[in-house]
Amino acid sequence: MFNKVLIANRGEIAVRILRACRELGMQVVAVYSEADRQALHVRYADEAYLLGPAPSRESYLRVDKIIDIAKKCGAGGIHPGYGFLAERSDFAQACLDEGIAFIGPKPSAIAAMGDKRAARATVSAAGVPVVPGTEGEGALSDEELLAIAPKIGFPLLIKASAGGGGKGMREVQSLHEMPGLITAARREAEAAFGDGNVYLEKLIDGARHVEIQILGDQFGNIMHLGERECSIQRRHQKLLEESPSPFIGDDDELRQEMGAVAVRAAQSVEYTNAGTIEFLIDKDNHFYFLEMNTRLQVEHPVTEMVTGIDIVKEQIRVARGRQLRYSQENLSMNGWAIECRINAEDPYNNFLPSTGHISHLLTPTGPGVRVDTGVYPGFEISPYYDSLISKLVVWGETRAEAILRMRRSLEEFKIIGIKTNIPFHQTLMDSHRFMGGQYDTRFVEERFSLEQSEKDHHGDQEIAAIIATLVAHRANQLATNIVQRGIRDTSNWKWLSRWERLQK
Amino acid sequence: MKYITTVNNEEFIIEILDDRRVVINGKEYQIDFHPVSEQPVYSMLVDGKSYEAYVNPADNTWSVLLHGHQYSIQIEDEREKRLRSASSRNLSEGSEYHLKAPMPGLVITVLVKEGQKIKKDELLLILESMKMQNELKSPRDGVVSRIRIQPGESVEQRQILLTIT
Repeated sequence: MFNKVLIANRGEIAVRILRACRELGMQVVAVYSEADRQALHVRYADEAYLLGPAPSRESYLRVDKIIDIAKKCGAGGIHPGYGFLAERSDFAQACLDEGIAFIGPKPSAIAAMGDKRAARATVSAAGVPVVPGTEGEGALSDEELLAIAPKIGFPLLIKASAGGGGKGMREVQSLHEMPGLITAARREAEAAFGDGNVYLEKLIDGARHVEIQILGDQFGNIMHLGERECSIQRRHQKLLEESPSPFIGDDDELRQEMGAVAVRAAQSVEYTNAGTIEFLIDKDNHFYFLEMNTRLQVEHPVTEMVTGIDIVKEQIRVARGRQLRYSQENLSMNGWAIECRINAEDPYNNFLPSTGHISHLLTPTGPGVRVDTGVYPGFEISPYYDSLISKLVVWGETRAEAILRMRRSLEEFKIIGIKTNIPFHQTLMDSHRFMGGQYDTRFVEERFSLEQSEKDHHGDQEIAAIIATLVAHRANQLATNIVQRGIRDTSNWKWLSRWERLQK
Repeated sequence: MKYITTVNNEEFIIEILDDRRVVINGKEYQIDFHPVSEQPVYSMLVDGKSYEAYVNPADNTWSVLLHGHQYSIQIEDEREKRLRSASSRNLSEGSEYHLKAPMPGLVITVLVKEGQKIKKDELLLILESMKMQNELKSPRDGVVSRIRIQPGESVEQRQILLTIT
């Protein structure tokens, strides 16, 4: 059994895993790229080793180097986090070949679920309903895809076989726009996963995205930890998650039914460790298997908040050959949790990524608030990795309390130096449809606008005008240097040095 | 100093009397205004009420983020306003548009050629940043007069990528 864990990841998730290891009394080894020498996971770790240059291909995706480091420093377990190597069965296999525990499922389970087409065929055979599409057809050429598309019907989705996180995914409304979209999807999939294969899936109208968290041990015990609601998405990227789902709410029958189906899907590949079964639910509460993520999810904290189970610690225990500490019968969900993904993106400029130096950072705290983050004041957000910088998670006795708590936490959260999507979340918290739990996966793109906030901002307009004018006035005075003697609040020498610093 | 400040088509006449007093549309307020630790964040107390906002200069305007809402604010002093109304008739429409990189990234493909005629919203090039491919489109009809980058090239934020005339 291992007592030293190498974390093959970066950012907030590396820090999250590191915390679990610490609490279990284990030694932590960090790996990092040249861009991450100053990153939090490197600063917090017991040991840290350089992988290579900033691009992931030359650092966090270097299987050979990571295994080599683990062997040299005597790490008995490797936690892959999410993204990067988390769903690469060859990496899991390489770990096992070297006698290192891979903190995740068996390579065979990753492979079976990793190819989205094969996964649909597998669970379909186990009696789990799937969204109509091209499952079980193998890798298709552009011509074959174009021939099958009208049989599935429009609108439909082109998805990357190796995909996840909305990459390599395109929505198609009609046949004539399809060739261009296939090319774009293949190109993006090739860049993101090194595999340009795509498949088609029917687009379900008014669909909600609900997923079930699974935990399994090496003794064949598999349980579910209830659901997470993930319908707040933009370009198929999740932005906010909650648990329970407002659509399932008190309907424990539906919850248990979905949970049982999820467990069955996991059993079909003899699943161990943590995983997630994603479902789409249509307007009539029919649910369909979407895919299985054979790893820890970004949004796992909302489940932790309502179940009281530390999923990452459970992952490590299971990988060390222990039995699950919980069983389906003694699982209970308490209260409500919401997570907002804080991304380095400008919500006022089409959510384009924002890079730069975080000059100032004030993190919300207080009752019921959890922040998972990998950044700190002085940290540089580079264009090499994904834009998630923090996860703000709150817990409340009820959904209403959780929303109010999220509102106050978002207002407290100050990140300066880069643009973030915090204003997006603030506007969302004021949306009546969100408050009423009336949304589907297309809500953000079709029925939500940052400009048409539902909160009354009229009084604030005057305040904003005053503040802007005072700032402009200061800038003018500085520029024209029309400050009378003795009027300055500080000595002229001090003022001059400040002025010089401003010119740099 | 008197300013004419416009927010969402609403005009405020704001006069700054001194460090602690402003007059807005004829009404005087007591204020206490400070930047927070030399950042673009400002704290203001107005008659006991506390506000905090991010203030950043944008193209010819100021952007103020207050209570989760962003305001685009135009500020002119009286002299500027007079100048603008006198000269606005002579201003011609800019005939060149420079497409600038909205963020640092890697040019994946360029989908147009120099001399090519393009329509508004036509896809010009693809820029990858933070693992996402971003499609940059043309803001108007025109002709691609100059392309300054090549696929595979890394670009800085605000670097000019191509020019449309």
